[in-house]
Amino acid sequence: MIRAIARKELVQYWRDGRVVTVFGIVALLGLAATVTGWSAVSAMERERASAVAMDREIWDTQGLKNPHTAAHFSRYAFQPTFNLAVFDPGLTDYVGNAIWLEAHYRDPAALRPVEDAVEIQRIAQLNPAWVIQVFGPLLIFILLYGAVAAERESGTLRQLLAAGMRPVSLLLGKAVSAFSLTGLLVFGVLLGSAFLMSAEGIERLPDTGLRTAALAALYLVYLAIFVFLALGVSALSSRSRTALAGLMGIWIVATILGPRIGPDVAGALAPAPSAPEFAARLDQEGADPFWGAGEEAVQRRQRVMDAALAEYGVETVEELPINYDGYLLQASEEFANGVFDTMYAELWGGYERQHAIARGFALVSPTIAAQNVSMALAGTGLHAYRHFADEAEEFRREFVLLLNQEMIDHGGADGYAYVSGNGFWRQNPDFEYAAPGIGEAVRGVWADVIILLLWLAIAIAVAALGVRRGFLGEMAA
Amino acid sequence: MRAIRKHERRALLGDRLQVLLLGLFALICLSASLRGAQYREALEEAAAAFEAEHLERAADWRERVVAVESGDVAPEDDVFAGLAMDVARPAVAAPGPLADFSRGVTDVHPFTARVALWRSVDRLFGNYQFQSPNEIRAGKLDLAFAVLFVMPLLMIALTFGALSRDRDSGRLGLLLSHPVSVRAMVRSKLLVRLGAVFAILVAALLAGLFIGAGGVPDGGRLGRFAFWFLAASGYFAFWAGAIYWFVSLNRKSEITAMLMIGFWVLNGLVGPAVLAAAAQLVHPAPSQLAFLSTARQVSNEAYRSRADVMQGMLLDHPELTVENYTIPEYIRVSYLVNETVDRAVEPVLEEFEAVQNRRRSFLGLVQYAAPAALAMRSINEISGTDLARQVRFEGEVRDYKRAIARHVEARVLAGERLTVAEVDAVPTYTFRESGLGAVGRSVVFPVGYLFGLGLLGAALARRNLARLQTRFREA
Repeated sequence: MIRAIARKELVQYWRDGRVVTVFGIVALLGLAATVTGWSAVSAMERERASAVAMDREIWDTQGLKNPHTAAHFSRYAFQPTFNLAVFDPGLTDYVGNAIWLEAHYRDPAALRPVEDAVEIQRIAQLNPAWVIQVFGPLLIFILLYGAVAAERESGTLRQLLAAGMRPVSLLLGKAVSAFSLTGLLVFGVLLGSAFLMSAEGIERLPDTGLRTAALAALYLVYLAIFVFLALGVSALSSRSRTALAGLMGIWIVATILGPRIGPDVAGALAPAPSAPEFAARLDQEGADPFWGAGEEAVQRRQRVMDAALAEYGVETVEELPINYDGYLLQASEEFANGVFDTMYAELWGGYERQHAIARGFALVSPTIAAQNVSMALAGTGLHAYRHFADEAEEFRREFVLLLNQEMIDHGGADGYAYVSGNGFWRQNPDFEYAAPGIGEAVRGVWADVIILLLWLAIAIAVAALGVRRGFLGEMAA
Repeated sequence: MRAIRKHERRALLGDRLQVLLLGLFALICLSASLRGAQYREALEEAAAAFEAEHLERAADWRERVVAVESGDVAPEDDVFAGLAMDVARPAVAAPGPLADFSRGVTDVHPFTARVALWRSVDRLFGNYQFQSPNEIRAGKLDLAFAVLFVMPLLMIALTFGALSRDRDSGRLGLLLSHPVSVRAMVRSKLLVRLGAVFAILVAALLAGLFIGAGGVPDGGRLGRFAFWFLAASGYFAFWAGAIYWFVSLNRKSEITAMLMIGFWVLNGLVGPAVLAAAAQLVHPAPSQLAFLSTARQVSNEAYRSRADVMQGMLLDHPELTVENYTIPEYIRVSYLVNETVDRAVEPVLEEFEAVQNRRRSFLGLVQYAAPAALAMRSINEISGTDLARQVRFEGEVRDYKRAIARHVEARVLAGERLTVAEVDAVPTYTFRESGLGAVGRSVVFPVGYLFGLGLLGAALARRNLARLQTRFREA
C-alpha cells in the first residue's frame, strides 16, 4: 500500500509542472554549485602546490644569511583545501590559507579568500551543502504542505479512510515519495561532488569514503526531519493554506534566520577579543617582558645569562663555548611561546564559547546542527582549522629552534655576524600536514548529532500527533 | 473605502500572529540598531586607540630628535635618534558614517595600518585576521539584513491572502457583485498591512539614527541617513509593487504565498549567490598565494644581491656617498630591499585593484537582475562600508608609504638623522569619506530603479485587477 501511494504521489509530482520546475531549479543550482566548488578547490590546490614549491626554492637559495635573520624571513605553512571542500567549503573562505612561521611571533592565518570576494557573496555563497541545507527543506515543504490538508479540503481523505486506508500507510507513502525525490537531490549532488573530488590535484582527506557516507546519512536524517515535520503540520492544519504558512515560517526560522541570529547573539554574549587589540597585546606581551628596557625584562635576561654561565661552568659570556646571542634568542622564543599558548587559548576559548552558544540555537534551527556536523565531516569546520593552526605552530617552534640551534652550536663568538649557507637551508624540513581522521573530526560535534536526532524524534512525534489528531478526528467524523 | 481600511486595521490588530510578527520585526530592528551602535563604537574606539598610541610613539621619537638637536643629548649618546628609517605613522580609516546600519565588509578588512619603512607594502596592515571565522561566515544581523531580508518576509506574511483569502472562501464573487472596486479594495488592504510595516521601518531607522549617534546626529550622518532612508524606501517600494502584482494574479492563497516566497528566494538568495559566483568566474582575482610568493622571491633576491643593489643606488645617487657612515649598513639594505619588493609587487597590487574595479563594473550592470544585491551594494556604499571604500583605503595607505619614503629617502641612504623640521614635515594621512554628492550620484540610478520596479509592479497589478473586475461584471 505504501509503495502504491508513493508511486501515485511521484506520478502526481511529475505531472505537476510547478514541482518539476522547482525541482529542476534546485537540481540546476546543485549542479552549478558543485562545478563552482570543484573549480574553486582545484584552483586553490593548484596555487597552493605552486606556492609550496616556490617557498622551498626561495628557502633553499637564500644564500649566506644569519640563521636568526632567516628565522625572521622564515617559511609559510599553506593550508590544504581537501577534496570534501568541493561539497561543503564551510569556513574555507573565512580562514586564511597561509601562516607565516616567523620567529618571535605566532601569526594568524593570512590571505583569507573572503577578503577578495565581492561583497554580495556575504548574502549567500553558492555551494552544494548550502543548496541542500536551504533548498532541500523548501522543496519538501512545497511537496508536502498539502499532503494531508489538501486531501482533507477536497474530501478525499475521508473517502480514503472510509475505504480502509491506514493513516500510517498514507503518511508513510507520502513521506517516501517526498523523501525519495529530495534524497535523489542529495545523492545526485554528493555523487557529482564525489566524482569531481576525485579529480587529480585535489588532496584527499583521510577516511574520505567514510566521511562521504556519513555526509549522506547526515543529510538524509536532516531531510527526514523536515519530511516528518511537514507531514505533521499538514495533518494538524485544517487547511493547506495554514499548513503552508506554518511550514514557511519553520523554513525561514530554521534555514535563514536561525543560522544568522545564533552566531550574532553568541557574539554579543561572549564577544571574542577585538582583533586590533589582540594583535597589539600579542606583539607587546610576547616581546616587551623579555626584550624591553623595564626592570622585569632586564632581570629576565640576567637570569638567562646566569643560567647559560652555570650550564657551561664559565664566568663570562665571552668564555661561553656557544653563540650566546643565539642562546638568548631561543630563551626569548621559549618565553614568548608560553605567552602565545595563554593568549591563543583565550582566543580559541572565545571562539568555542561562541560556537557553544550558537549551537544552543540549533534547538530552534536544525540547520545549525547540520551545518556544524557537515563542516566537521568535510574537514572545513573550526576544529579542522584549529588543528591545522596548532600543527603549524608546533612546526614553527621546532623550525625556529633548529635555526637558533645552528647559531648557538656553530656561531661561536661571531654573534649576529655568523652566517649559514644553502647547504644548511637545504637540510631543513618542510611542514607536512596530516589532517585528523574522522574520529577526531566528529569528536567536537557529538552534541550537534544528538540535537539532530532529537529533532528527528520531535518531527516523528509531530507526525504521530498529526495521525492521532488529524486522522482520527476525520475518522470519527 | 474608509470602511474597508477600518475593517482591515481591526483585522490586523485582532490577529495575534500578525501582531506578533510585526512586534518581532520591530524587536529585530531595535536589536540590530543597538548592536550596530555597539559595533561602530568599538571600531571607533579601536581606531582612536591605535592612532593615539602610534602618534604618542611618534611624539616620543620626535622628542629624542629635539634633545639631540638642542644639545641636551650628545649625538653619540643616541645614535639612532632621528634615524630616517624609523619614521612610522598611523593610517586609520574611521568606521563609515553609517557602519552601525550596515557592517558591509568592515568585519574582514583592516582599518588601521602602521606605515613604516621597515615594512614592505605587502605587510603594511600587520596581523588583523583574528576575527572569529564562524561569526564572519554567519554574517551580521544588522539593519541592512533586517531591511533586505526580514522586511520582505514580513510583507509577504501579512499580505499573501489579501485577495486570495476572499477567493478561497468564495466571498470574492459576492463582494464584487456590490458596487465595490476590487482595485480599491486590494489597495486599501495592502495600504493598511504594508503601511504598518513601513511605519515600523521608519521608526526603526530613526531609532537607529539616534542610537548610533548617541544623541543628536551631525549633518554628515543626517545626509547619509537621508540616502539610506531613500534606498530602504526604494526597496520597500519594490517589494510593495511586487506583492501588489502577485496578489493581483488572484490565485489560491497557497499558490500566491509560494510565488512570493519563490520570488524572495530568487531575489534574495539565488540571485546574489549566482551573481557573486559569476563576477568571480568572469573576473578571477590574481592568486594571493602567487602574490605572496612573488613578494618573498623578490625580497630574497634583493637581499641576496644586496651588494649590487647598494652599488646601483650609489651609482644613481653619488651625492649620497658618505665617508663617515656610522649607521649600520643593514638599515640601508633593508630600505633598498623593501623598496625593491614594493616596486615588484606594485603591478600585482594594481591588478588586484583592477580586478575589483572590473568586478564592480560587471556587478554594476548585472545587479539589476537581483534587486536585493543592488540594494545591498547601494546601502553599503551609503553606509561607508563597501568594498570600493576599503580598496581605496588600502591603496591610499600604500601611496602614503611612498610619500613618506620620498620624504626621508635621501637621509636613509646617506645614513643621516632627520632634523626636527624634517620630522615635522613628514606627511600625515587622513582618510576622506566620499562626499555626499558622489554617493548620491552613484546610488541615484539603482534606487530609482527600485522605485521604478515598484511602480511597474503596481501598474501591472492595476491592469490585472481591472481585468478581474471586468470578468466578474461580465459573469
